[in-house]
This record gives sequence, structure tokens and C-alpha cells, in this order.
Amino acid sequence: MTFKSIIGYRLIGHAKTTILLSVVFFFAAFVQDTSAQRKFSRTYPAGQDVRLNLMNRTGTVEVEGWNRREINIVATMEAPTAIIEPKSTLDLIEINMVRDNQGRDVGNVNFKVRVPYNTVVDIETRIGNLSVTSVRSGLVRAYISSEGDITLTNIVAANVSAENRLGDIFFDGQISEKGLYRFSSMSGRIALRIPFASSFRLVATAPSTRSISLGSFSNGDTNFVGDGRRVLGKFGTGSASVTVTNKLGTIAFFGR
Amino acid sequence: MNCDECKNLISVFLDSELEEPAAAAVRVHLAICSDCARICEDFASILDVATEGPSDVLPPNSQALWCRINNIIENDIKPGKATPPPEPQAGRFWRFSFGQLAAAVLCIAMVSSLATIVAVRSYFPPEPAEFAVRSAADRTLLDKVLGRLGLAETPQQIRERRLKQHQEAIDYWNARVQTRRMKWDDMTRDAFDRNLRVIDQSVSEFSMILQRNPDDDLSGEMLDSVLDDKMKLLRDFADL
Repeated sequence: MTFKSIIGYRLIGHAKTTILLSVVFFFAAFVQDTSAQRKFSRTYPAGQDVRLNLMNRTGTVEVEGWNRREINIVATMEAPTAIIEPKSTLDLIEINMVRDNQGRDVGNVNFKVRVPYNTVVDIETRIGNLSVTSVRSGLVRAYISSEGDITLTNIVAANVSAENRLGDIFFDGQISEKGLYRFSSMSGRIALRIPFASSFRLVATAPSTRSISLGSFSNGDTNFVGDGRRVLGKFGTGSASVTVTNKLGTIAFFGR
Repeated sequence: MNCDECKNLISVFLDSELEEPAAAAVRVHLAICSDCARICEDFASILDVATEGPSDVLPPNSQALWCRINNIIENDIKPGKATPPPEPQAGRFWRFSFGQLAAAVLCIAMVSSLATIVAVRSYFPPEPAEFAVRSAADRTLLDKVLGRLGLAETPQQIRERRLKQHQEAIDYWNARVQTRRMKWDDMTRDAFDRNLRVIDQSVSEFSMILQRNPDDDLSGEMLDSVLDDKMKLLRDFADL
């Protein structure tokens, strides 16, 4: 056996050992990460007029309407110490992660909630995205204390409120007669996609960018005031009220 | 025939209802007695006026007239029983009964209430959405009058008051946040600081506009709203 062959053999042996150890470490880390995440899953019966109140700390909340008289909650927690204690009756499901985990670092908790179509939805988070899909009820409210996007799609509700600081807001739904619709952001983009034949009074304000695109609604009875920083408009009979404010961002309307 | 008998028969004589022998005796006496003759003439003249005069000479209500005459005569006969006319009392004009006073107070209360209702109805604070559309020129006459009298705040005064209230709330929540933020993780701290920076940027932007143009109500509304956002951000994170 020559010196070269001995050296070569040892190098190959070291490489094998390194690869083997890497694989072991990788699987070990993966297994540890998987076990660190905890899942919460519960299903509750729902009455005829049910309400969901969910206040998250950090993380996303997705709410989706379904054709069942029950509420299904699935939460994925980064920290196993996070406490989720829903309070439930036939008329109300309430989850308050801020109150239940006060003063504790629980990391992100991501919720996916399925509710009957006619559920009143009131969701909040301090940081994270919110989305509500396919809900037809009296109220849909989504509030983000700081940053995150709000997405409301296929919504039929008489009262809709969406508010965040940094992030986009997208609404795709109907404007009900005599309804109240309020969208407010500090920056980002607010986009509203509503039926072309909607009837509402509009106050849209974008004081910093003056970027208010009415799209197919620009032919209505509109009036730009305050050097173009605000648009006042009336469409149809004007029975509903739509107020959109984006202090540093833009506003856009799309007809459908 | 003497004078008394003649006087008793004069009236019947003038009516031609006296029998001839008695009438002849009356005529004889009147011829020789001037007093009875004068009485007879008086009676005759009265009868002439009564029978020949127009009806409108008579008073419209003779019975009432006679009553009044009768009362006057009776008063003249009994002067001691006549009541003296009441003397005017000093300050009588200002004396009211309880009912009159109550009615007056009720009237004043109703008028002042109606005036207040009208004033309040004509002076309603603008909706937040309408606030920026209004300018100093759009203020109602009542707004201006109340503002000059110092009974209502001007838009600038309202703004300053609200800013002061916001600042007090912000100071309170900020103190709480400072005690809590050490417990936050890096992600929460970064997100909070990022949001606060953007809010402060907006505050300075709208404040500068207002310094240039204090009557820009839309910027005033936005500044108010941004400070509200800041207060909410601090309050929400103070719970973490």
C-alpha cells in the first residue's frame, strides 16, 4: 500500500463519516422541529345565529364559510407552551390568545377556522394576515393592530370593517342596501371589487398619494375635493355607505 | 168745582172721556183758575208730543232707562249707603295671581325650550367623513356667532383640544409599552418599531401641512386619525 493510497483511503473515510453525520443531524433537526410544532383541532356545534370572536397575538387567521352547522378550529402553534382555550356556546365561539397568553412569548399561532355561512365574524391579530372567505352574515370585521394583509372574498354582509396599519386590504363582495363598509389603512393598497350596479355613497381619502382609482365607477356622480385628496360620490340610490381611508397608500375600485 | 177736583179730572177731560156735565164744570173752572188752566195746557202739550212725535225719539229700551233712573233716585234718597269709589293702589300693575305667574313661567320655559331645540337642530356636528369637506367658510352662521361669543369652539380649537387628549393617551400607553417591550421577541419589537416609524412620519407630514395652512381641515382630520392609530397601536401592544 503506497502513501498516496493510504491518504486517499483516509480521505474517503472522512468524507463518508461527514456525510453520514450530516444526514443524521438533518433528520434529527427535522424531527425536533416537527415535534416542537403543536396542533390544536376542535369542532363545536353551532346554533342558527352564531358569532366567532377570535383575537390572535401573532400569526395568521383564515376563516372560511362552509355548509355545516358546526365550527371547526385548527391551530398550528410554533411554541408548545401556547394556550388555546376557546369559550363556546351555541351562539358564540370566543378565542382570545392575548388574554390567555399574557406576558408569554408564544410565537406565531396560525388559525384555520371553518364556520357556517351565516356566522358573524370578528377577528383580530396584532401581527399577521387575516382572511375571510364565503361568509354571508350581518357583520364581518377584520382588524390588524400593526402589519399584515386583510383579504375578504365572497362576502355578503351589511357591515364590513377592515383596518390595518401596514399592509394591503382586498375586498371582493357585495354592497348590501343600507350597509356600512369601512376600510382603513396607513399604507399599502386598498382594492375593492364590487358589483357594478352597487348603490352606495362613497367617501374615499388618500391624502398623501392622491391615488384614488374609481375604475368603472368613475362615471358616477363623483366630486374630487381637497385638491384631489378625497372623492365624494353617489352611485345608484346611495343607500349604503362606503368609507375608504388610506393615509399613505392608494385606493382602487374594480367593478364586476 | 175746586182745584183738586179739577186736577183729578183734567186727564180724563183731555181724553174726551168725561161726561158732558162734568166736562162743562171743568171748563168753567179752567176759565176762572189760571193755575189749573196752565196744568191743563201742560198736559195737553205732552199729549200732543206723545201722539204726534216720531217713534225714534223714544229710548231703545225704556224699561232699562227707567230702572237706571230709579236707581239714581234711590241713591240720591239714601246717600249714606253709597259706597265710595275704590282708590287706586300703588304697584297694582305688577301684582299677579299665582295662576298668572305660573302661566308666565310656563310660557317662558316653552319658548326657551323651543329656541334651544331649533338651535341644536340647526347646529349639528359634522360627521367625521364630512369634516374635511367643510372648511371655515362652510361654517353656519350659528357656528360663527357662537364662536365669537366664546360659546362654541372654532375648528382649530377643537383640533387642539383633541390633539391634547390624544397626546395624553399616547403618553399613558407609551409608558406601559416601555415596561412591557423587554419581554417581546425580536419579531414583535421590529414590527412595532416599524409601524411606529410610519405613524410618526405621517404625524410630521400632516403637522407640516397644518403649519402652512391651519384651515386645511382634511389634514386636521388625518392628523387626528393618525394619532388615533398611534394610540391604538400602543394600547394593543401594551397588552403583549
